[in-house]
Amino acid sequence: MTKTCQPLFRLENESLGYGDHQVLQPFDLTVNQGEKIALIGQSGSGKSTLLRHLRSLSPDIIAWCPQDPGLVPMLSTFHNTYAGSLGQYSLFYNLLNLVFPQKKAIADVRDILMLLGLSEYLSKPVSQLSGGQMQRVGLARAMASGQSLFLGDEPVSAVDEYQAKELMRLISEKHDTCIVALHDIELALAFATRIIGLKDGQIMIDQSAETISSEQITALYSADNED
Amino acid sequence: MKTEAAILRRNSLLLILLAMLCLPLADLELSFPDFWPELSRLGIAIVTPEVIDGWQLLSVLTTTLSFAFQGVVIGAVAGFVLALGYGNAWVRGFAAFIRAIHELFWALIFIQLTGLTSLTGLLALAIPYAGTFAKVFGEIFEESDHKPRDALTGSRFVVFFYTTLPLAWRRMVDYSAYRFECGIRSSVVLGFVGLPTVGFHLESLFSQGEYSQAVAMLYALFLIIGSTRLWLIKQLIPLYVLLSFVWLPPVADIQWSMIWQFFTVDIVPAPLKYSTGSLSDWFRLLFSKQIGPGIANTMILTQLSLAMTLLFAVLLIPLRSKLFCGNGRIVGHSLLVMLRTTPEYLLAFIGVIVLGPSMLPGMLALSIHNAAILAHLSGRFVDQLAFREDRPSGMLLYCYEVLPRIYRQFMALLLYRWEVIQRESAILGILGIPTLGFYIDSAFEEFRLDRAMLLILVTALLNVLIDKCARSLRPSSG
Amino acid sequence: MKRLLSTTGKAVALLSMFFVSALQAQETFTFTAIPDQDETRLQERFGKVADYLEKELGVEVNYIPVKSYAAAISAFRNNQVQLAWFGGLSGVRARLLVPGSKALAQGYEDQFFKTYLIANAKTGFSASKAFPEDIAGSSFTFGSKGSTSGRLMPEFYIREHLNAAPKDAFKRVGFSGDHSRTISLVQSGAYEVGAVNYKVWERELAEGKIDTSKVEVIWSTPEYPDYQWSIRGDVDKRFGAGFQQKVQTALLNIEQPELLKAFPRQSFVEAENSFYQPIEDTARKIGLLD
Repeated sequence: MTKTCQPLFRLENESLGYGDHQVLQPFDLTVNQGEKIALIGQSGSGKSTLLRHLRSLSPDIIAWCPQDPGLVPMLSTFHNTYAGSLGQYSLFYNLLNLVFPQKKAIADVRDILMLLGLSEYLSKPVSQLSGGQMQRVGLARAMASGQSLFLGDEPVSAVDEYQAKELMRLISEKHDTCIVALHDIELALAFATRIIGLKDGQIMIDQSAETISSEQITALYSADNED
Repeated sequence: MKTEAAILRRNSLLLILLAMLCLPLADLELSFPDFWPELSRLGIAIVTPEVIDGWQLLSVLTTTLSFAFQGVVIGAVAGFVLALGYGNAWVRGFAAFIRAIHELFWALIFIQLTGLTSLTGLLALAIPYAGTFAKVFGEIFEESDHKPRDALTGSRFVVFFYTTLPLAWRRMVDYSAYRFECGIRSSVVLGFVGLPTVGFHLESLFSQGEYSQAVAMLYALFLIIGSTRLWLIKQLIPLYVLLSFVWLPPVADIQWSMIWQFFTVDIVPAPLKYSTGSLSDWFRLLFSKQIGPGIANTMILTQLSLAMTLLFAVLLIPLRSKLFCGNGRIVGHSLLVMLRTTPEYLLAFIGVIVLGPSMLPGMLALSIHNAAILAHLSGRFVDQLAFREDRPSGMLLYCYEVLPRIYRQFMALLLYRWEVIQRESAILGILGIPTLGFYIDSAFEEFRLDRAMLLILVTALLNVLIDKCARSLRPSSG
Repeated sequence: MKRLLSTTGKAVALLSMFFVSALQAQETFTFTAIPDQDETRLQERFGKVADYLEKELGVEVNYIPVKSYAAAISAFRNNQVQLAWFGGLSGVRARLLVPGSKALAQGYEDQFFKTYLIANAKTGFSASKAFPEDIAGSSFTFGSKGSTSGRLMPEFYIREHLNAAPKDAFKRVGFSGDHSRTISLVQSGAYEVGAVNYKVWERELAEGKIDTSKVEVIWSTPEYPDYQWSIRGDVDKRFGAGFQQKVQTALLNIEQPELLKAFPRQSFVEAENSFYQPIEDTARKIGLLD
């Protein structure tokens, strides 16, 4: 893969929060094209906040996969997946697809679902799917956007270990750059080229995946006021 | 397995298709009357509202509100009692029947029994409302969690008060509060048959062309309905109800001989009463001349109006939501208040001035009025929805996220409006469309109460049928 | 005190009182009138009549406004009113429903009343002595469904000359509700032809409310008896012997031009139930009475 020098994100002395509550202390962060980044850290450490912020910086170029896939339960898997690609088509085509799904749109969506093992659920209402299946529909929706920058917040938390690995491989393969929050350290190490560890609103770790030590990880997940 | 959206979409298309089939049968001729003189007077009146007697206006408004409060409260209490037995098919049928008769027709019946009195107004509102309350309360009871009830032993009646009622209470109170707004609208409409509410004066002023005064009265109504959130506070309702009974005690000089006569003479079919001709001839004649064509015209008008209500409502919903209109929604909100507060009768009247008499002004009046109510009710759900950060915006957000999510409630409300629209299609006789309501009105006007009662019975049965149909189109939960 | 209120205000106040009064005021003599035209005018007219009758009869007299011909009949039948200014047909109906009731007085003109057929200028129909048979197929509006001049008599002549019920003779049949509205609907062209009380037509014409370039009279029915005051038979029992006679005398003695002008009639003359037999027969003939 060719790497350009232009970074996708460059944050300097950024702090994040809502209202008076500061979630992330001032920090610097640069993301370059081609990087596969895993965000790790305890829940509440600010991973989701960071991801949401990154997304808001340039929402139009991102394949977005939030923790809660936010699917529309009354619509089919097809529609929920197709919704990810609304930005690529005209208003008329989009409305037409809502009422009369077009062959090409179905074919495109089917290709994506095939990769995720969901093709048989194409016309099924997502309210009928299991938690793991819904999560995969969420992924399919992100992939349908056709963007090469993937931001995911625990995109595989609801599937089994084996499947999780497969899906992460797929995500990594289909997207040039990935930033993914994961709670499974092993999975994170297997997938990422770079690990960012968050704790108490601060970036504790930011280094290449190969150089990270198990002590660092233990420290990241240890409770604060331990004797 | 079809998606819920697919089922709802199919049902919507079905309703529209049905309307298309009715279209060639409908009388939609435009006669292009010379409407400018009348319309410009109306336009001028809109900017020059005029109140001639403020005290009179205040007194008329108070009377209107009093009828509403009394009707809703008595209706709610009676409806609650009926809802206790809602498991019983006879009770359900009874409730469906009493709400199937429009409050105007109840009023026309009670004018014969208790005269043009405040009691008549109260009963005309309370009876159909009791039927509606019975249905809504009954369904709330059915939907409330069964587990607490099943865990207890003892008298079912007592257990109900310990489990189901507390569980259902909030929704019941919310619904009753909403019902007051409907009560005010119904109370206005009662004026059209002579009870001294706003409708009485609106009708006179409009037909006399005193538009400035009529418009002022409408503005006052808009203000009352638009500001219910400020003054219709649950805690104050008991006080309002008390005051309404002080202002307008429901009394009537009941003459039992009149009531006796009503049942033993007035409503006895003419051939039996005057022993002329046979009953079956009377019925056959009535069927071929009035009931048959009446049902056909009523259904055509209803189906066309229903489909148009659906389309208008889908267009109007975003107007009321923060999501789509931001702070501009206050304008949308006001527009909806105006459209749903102006009685259909007046909308139709303006329609006749502009388009000439045909089914068209009737359809427009019914669908604009009902779409505004529907948009108001379903619009409330929109701002409660939560979306992903990468949601689309504008039209796509509306079609891909909002509509599918609220469509279930929307459809349920629309299907409920089906029977309402059918009932309301009855009061548009001015258009010269011979609906069942037109013939009922004629029968009362000709003082043929036997015919009136038979026609009302037919109308009510048709309404119950539509209610059943609507229920089967409603997607079942789960 | 009462005089301080405007006439409209008074009518409304009375209407509200009427609700409560049902219980206490047995001695109030109440009357109503069919709402055949502008209601402000009705209230103005009958407010004055109430004052006059109160003076003449020595009992409290109220006028209550009603919304329809049927409501006037109901109120008369239920004894909510004891006296009413009815049209020919509504009077017949009311008296059939209240045995012993009596037509007391009619306007001088009501002995030879007429209905005008009016047409929008665009139709090209013009005035003629003979019934204009070419109106068949146009759109037509009556006044109120229960009106003599706006419904019964025109329907009778339409059936006679066109040999069909109005529903079949015309493209569309409407009921405007009252005479004033019939005129404005035909003038605007919403309906092509309409039937209207000749008195209302002539008054509105004199007041300049009609644009004769847009609407004109094309035919007049033969004369028939119309409006009358009818009274319940049991008033003597309630208000004292001879009360009915007193009311009749008071009505026949109305001479004040301001009272008469409001109706508008030049004077009132005696009436009897039998005067209205032709109306009853016609109503039965066209199926408006069983």
